[in-house]
Amino acid sequence: MSKFKKSFHIKGRDFIRAGEASINVQNLLKSMDFDPRLTRRIAICGYESEMNVVMHGGDGKLSIEVGEDRLILEVRDDGPGIDDIEQAMQAGFSTANDDHREMGFGAGMGLPNMKKNSDQIHIESKKNNETVVRMIFFLSEGEKTH
Amino acid sequence: MSKRQTSTCFVRFDQNLCAGYGSCLRVCPTKAIRVKNKKAIRIVEQCIGCGECIRSCREGAVTAATEGPGVLEKDHIAVALVSPVLYAQFPGVMPKDVLLGLRHMGFQHTIDMSYFLEIFQFATEEFIRRNRKSPKAPWPLISPVCPVVVRLIAFQFPNLLPNVLPVLRPVALMAREVKSRLIPEYIKKGKEVILYYLNPCPTKKDTACLPARKKPAPTEIALGINDIYPELVKHVDQIKAADDIPFYQTRFEYETCATANASMWGMSGGEIADMDIDRSLAVSGMEETISYLEKIEMGLFQEIEYIEFRTCREGCLGGVLTAIDKYLAKGAVQKMIKRYGLGRRLHRENILRMYEKGEFQTEKKPSKLTSLFGAHKEALSIDSMQKIEKIMELIKGTDCTACGAPDCRTFAEDVVRGDSALKECLFVRAQPKK
Repeated sequence: MSKFKKSFHIKGRDFIRAGEASINVQNLLKSMDFDPRLTRRIAICGYESEMNVVMHGGDGKLSIEVGEDRLILEVRDDGPGIDDIEQAMQAGFSTANDDHREMGFGAGMGLPNMKKNSDQIHIESKKNNETVVRMIFFLSEGEKTH
Repeated sequence: MSKRQTSTCFVRFDQNLCAGYGSCLRVCPTKAIRVKNKKAIRIVEQCIGCGECIRSCREGAVTAATEGPGVLEKDHIAVALVSPVLYAQFPGVMPKDVLLGLRHMGFQHTIDMSYFLEIFQFATEEFIRRNRKSPKAPWPLISPVCPVVVRLIAFQFPNLLPNVLPVLRPVALMAREVKSRLIPEYIKKGKEVILYYLNPCPTKKDTACLPARKKPAPTEIALGINDIYPELVKHVDQIKAADDIPFYQTRFEYETCATANASMWGMSGGEIADMDIDRSLAVSGMEETISYLEKIEMGLFQEIEYIEFRTCREGCLGGVLTAIDKYLAKGAVQKMIKRYGLGRRLHRENILRMYEKGEFQTEKKPSKLTSLFGAHKEALSIDSMQKIEKIMELIKGTDCTACGAPDCRTFAEDVVRGDSALKECLFVRAQPKK
């Protein structure tokens, strides 16, 4: 099964360059002609994941994997880990600090948004350990890669 | 393989003047330019008509695909369709005197676009008012006024096409009005009418590029403001010097210009400044536009209702076919606002009646826009993507442009598509053979 995978580095606490990794992912997908609605969903998920790393995690990595019937967006960081995943998935729950809120972030919609825009989401995380979020997007019959 | 030609629908290119510096390479937002054999070559399908290459070329080898000066012939009715940017080219001169100058030049009719800009403003306000609460309209809405922005979206941000405001652009409203009311009268008299668009940018397509129409249509010619400026300035000077300016009877209300709202349109922010919308933004410049579109794509700015984008810095006043510097022009507009104040001459009720009848709706579906603008690039397969990555590892990725591509990634894509050979890369050639 042919696959294509590429990763982009995310630098923690770097709010100026935040968003670059998702833009890179987006540009890759655009050269492959997927349904614009699908790339939009991935763009939203990519940005939300990247902002999570920039705000909470240390450095991280955003990867996109293009398979024949699915796309997998994975974000991974060495950050502090998520205490209670179930709680983090609730809309409005946030551990953002005042600085983040001042910049307009930290509304607690990150993970819920990622869940809403992906077909499947898997989160692996432990306190004081790395966090891995995998989002899967299934391609419809007509869209399968060649 | 992509179609490679030296000219597109929007820009012409002079092989003899090109020195192969490639300054146009890096500025092209759709990466449509390559330099081969020290001559710049353009990939036709990717040109969106922004004119950045014209701006960047030191040799003057790139020009707009407009007709150029000296096309005005006496044996037909010449109608000037005037972008308000024209007024800003004459600091201290009243817009009506600029229009008079055009008449002296030989135009029988001068249609002031700002009249239609006002109609557009009302229609836009109404659309937003009606859809504000509905989650159906994708927020933020994007102004359809700058055609380069719409083409850029169709080509590079197709998932934002639904965000483009579905209201007819002012220039389309203007053309429709002229074609349905002014032209038929002349046709009845057996006279030929030619429409001249006086544009600040090369955005109007060369007529040769347009698909053939079924109905006989009037001849339409695009002129750059800088094409007519040298002659117009003489007439305007005469008008300024004259004590007694003859009063011209105009037949249609859109033949004269009255408000400062009109001239303001050329300025970045001029579209939204007087609009009755709660949360709007104005963004100008190609880089800024792209960066904002990327952010909208990632779900930002959903709390904003309307964004005015202009790919030229400072708005249309910064168009590549203007005659005077954009900041001088901006100064002229600001003076005009101070003198005449803001205000509209049309009545909202009249426009709303037209709105109810659906007179402002665009017929074209977003998906159609993509094909209409023609900008297209063939999709890459997983296999090709893997090959591109391998090439990227090989060529170091310094974006030196010596191969004639704007950056390494584009070069790698060209190689995979079969448009370039790997050995065109200096770094590949410098590597010891294995």
